[in-house]
Amino acid sequence: MTIIEFLQLLHDSQLGTALRESLYMFPIIEGVHLIGLALSVGLILLTDLRLVGLFLRNVPVQDVLHQLRPWVLAGFAITFITGTLLIWAEGPRIWQIPVFPIKLLLIALAGLNAIWFEFKYGRTVLEWGVKPEFPKGAKVAGWLSLVSWTAVVICGRLIPYLEATQH
Amino acid sequence: MSTQAFFHSLQNGALGISIGKLDPLFGALAQLFHIAGFLLILTAILIVNLRLFGVGLRNQSVPQLVKATNPLILYGLGFLAISGLFILLPSADIYYPNPAFWAKALLLSLALIVQFTLYRKVTASESPNRTLASTTAVLSLTLWFGVAFAGRAIGFV
Repeated sequence: MTIIEFLQLLHDSQLGTALRESLYMFPIIEGVHLIGLALSVGLILLTDLRLVGLFLRNVPVQDVLHQLRPWVLAGFAITFITGTLLIWAEGPRIWQIPVFPIKLLLIALAGLNAIWFEFKYGRTVLEWGVKPEFPKGAKVAGWLSLVSWTAVVICGRLIPYLEATQH
Repeated sequence: MSTQAFFHSLQNGALGISIGKLDPLFGALAQLFHIAGFLLILTAILIVNLRLFGVGLRNQSVPQLVKATNPLILYGLGFLAISGLFILLPSADIYYPNPAFWAKALLLSLALIVQFTLYRKVTASESPNRTLASTTAVLSLTLWFGVAFAGRAIGFV
C-alpha cells in the first residue's frame, strides 16, 4: 500500500468524512494545532536559546529543562493529536503540497536530535549545567533544534498558504 | 467616512496599491513574520502566566521573568504590526466583511488593554495575591490565545 493509498483510506473513513463535513471541527482542530505550537515549539525554542546562551542566562539550565518539560510534552501531545486528525481528514490533499513531506522529515530530524541530546547530556545536566561553559555537543544540539523547529513552523505555515494560492 | 469606505480607501491608497503590486514572495514572508511574532508573544506570555499559576520556572520571581521576556513581547508586537499591515492593506476590502477579523480586532484590543494595565500591575509584584495572579493569567491566556484562534479562523469564514 502506498502512502497516498493509506491517506485515501483515512480520508474515506467515517472519522475522516465526519471531520471534513463538520462546519466547525476542522477549523477548531486547526486553531488548536496552532495554539499548541506556543506550548510545544515555543517553549522548546526558549529552551534552545537558553542552551546556546542567548536567553534566560540567569536561570539555571536544569530548571529550564526540567520545569518546562511537562508543558512541552503536553504541547506536543496537543499538536500531535490535532495534526493527526488534520491528516486523517485531508491527508491526500495535504500530501500533494510539497512542503508537507519536508515538514515531516524535519520533525523526525528534530526528534532524533532531542533523543540524542537526552541520552548524551540530559541525564548529566546537574554536572555540566553549573559550569560557565556548556559542552560543545549540547550547544550544537540547541542550535540544531532551533533551526529544525523554526523550519518546521515555516513549512507548516506554508501549507495553508500554498494551498490557498494553488486554488 | 464609514468604516467600509475607510477599508476601501486603505486598499486603494498609495501604500495598499504598492504592497499589492509586490512579488507574492512578500505575501509569504509577511505570513511567516506574522507567525514568528505570534510565537514570540504567546510563548513569552505563557512563561510568565505559568509562573503566575505557581508552575513552570517557579524558582524565578515573576518580575525577573517579566524582565527577561519583555524584549520577546516587544519584538513580537513589532513583527505582528508590520506583517499585519502587509497582509491587511492590499486586501482590506476582503477583511472588512469577515466576522472573524472583527472578533480578532476586539480580542486584540482587550488583550492589549489587559497587558498594559492589570498584567503589568500584577507582574510587577514579587509576591502577587494568588487569586489575583491566577485570574490575571486566565484572562491574559484566554485573550491572547483567542486572538490567535480568531486569526486562524479568518481564512475559514
